[in-house]
Amino acid sequence: MTHEGCPGSKMFEFNKGDDGGQEDDATATVQSQLRQWPIQLHLIGPAAPYYQGADVLLTADCVAYAFGNFHNEYLKGKSIAIACPKLDEGQDVYVEKIKAWFEDAKINTLTVMIMQVPCCMGLLNIAKQGLEKSERKVPVKSIIVDVQGEILSEEWISS
Amino acid sequence: MDMYLNKGVREVIEEFPDVGEILENYQIGCVECTAAECLLKDVVEIHNQPPDQEEQMMNEITAVIYPDRKPETRVGKKGGRPEKKKIKYSPPMKRLVEEHNLIKRWVALIPKVVDNMDFEPEDYKNIVREGVNFIRKYADGYHHAKEEEILFAYFDENLDILKTMHVDHENARAHVKAIVAGLKSNDAQAIREHLSAYGDLLPEHIKKEDEILYPWMDRNLSTKQVGELFYKFDSVEKEFGDTPQKCEEFIRKLEEKFCKGGT
Repeated sequence: MTHEGCPGSKMFEFNKGDDGGQEDDATATVQSQLRQWPIQLHLIGPAAPYYQGADVLLTADCVAYAFGNFHNEYLKGKSIAIACPKLDEGQDVYVEKIKAWFEDAKINTLTVMIMQVPCCMGLLNIAKQGLEKSERKVPVKSIIVDVQGEILSEEWISS
Repeated sequence: MDMYLNKGVREVIEEFPDVGEILENYQIGCVECTAAECLLKDVVEIHNQPPDQEEQMMNEITAVIYPDRKPETRVGKKGGRPEKKKIKYSPPMKRLVEEHNLIKRWVALIPKVVDNMDFEPEDYKNIVREGVNFIRKYADGYHHAKEEEILFAYFDENLDILKTMHVDHENARAHVKAIVAGLKSNDAQAIREHLSAYGDLLPEHIKKEDEILYPWMDRNLSTKQVGELFYKFDSVEKEFGDTPQKCEEFIRKLEEKFCKGGT
């Protein structure tokens, strides 16, 4: 393991071998649960029909790579947007889009799924800002995933 | 052990009183529970102890029931009373817990109301009347419109835990009915008796809901259902208008009357 300055860029190598650490047949096809396009938060329109009254998943870019069963356990039945709070520019727009989900699309719930690295907390803060600005209150859940794909916490943060 | 896991917890405690003490040590209050209809296995499942804590508790219970049997697994946990976890509720559940706080403020005033029987009869009766009004409008009206009529409907009504809560609600209603009858017949003793009984029932009932029922429900509700509940509760709040504010004002005034400087 090599150490670098930023915890979000710290290097790890997980020695899982060629079989991915699984003894079972890991080649079985996993059905995609994605039901929309686009998904990047800059590209989506918050008033799109698939957001109306939906349970929305706002996830940091890295989450779907870290969490093995992302499609079945978290994406299923939800509409999605993805973003990176560390690298993306124009994040004021993100706050406005999230506010529009709450007020205009009247979403049912928002689940914010982030990595454990400190910079990822920025995405949760963006969601909280959107909620503070919104006149309509919506239940918001936070899920934190560690770099090896374990769920570290899952809890409701508001309203 | 399966035989006892499938028995009612009251029956198990009657046969092995030490089991009640073990459950108490793990903050599982079946001994004081007025209904205690649940099966032992459901009690274990519903309290959601951390795995090592649950294992230790089950080993202790097994040792009481079968003193000659060795525990099947080794428990690595340190001895002593388990630590109490901080409960994090979903937003709709949090609202119900907050409503319980106002009900608990009323319950805390009941002994003072009962002890002040030397008030002029009409004054006293008015306080009791307003107290009954608070119970009916706030606890049984506003709060139960969400809890009983909406939240409970998401679960199987035949579950022991729900039956237990319904028994508590019915007992509370029976006490309120008896208080109203006491007011009509000027029976101060009946008022005192049933008001006190109501005040004794509520704290344990609220504790069961806050610490066992709601966390268990939160674990079993989907994200979608939590959202649905949130907005259904919003509708109830709209329907009841300023009732909660008026009820809180009643409690605040009563606190001022009975406790110097309020609470």
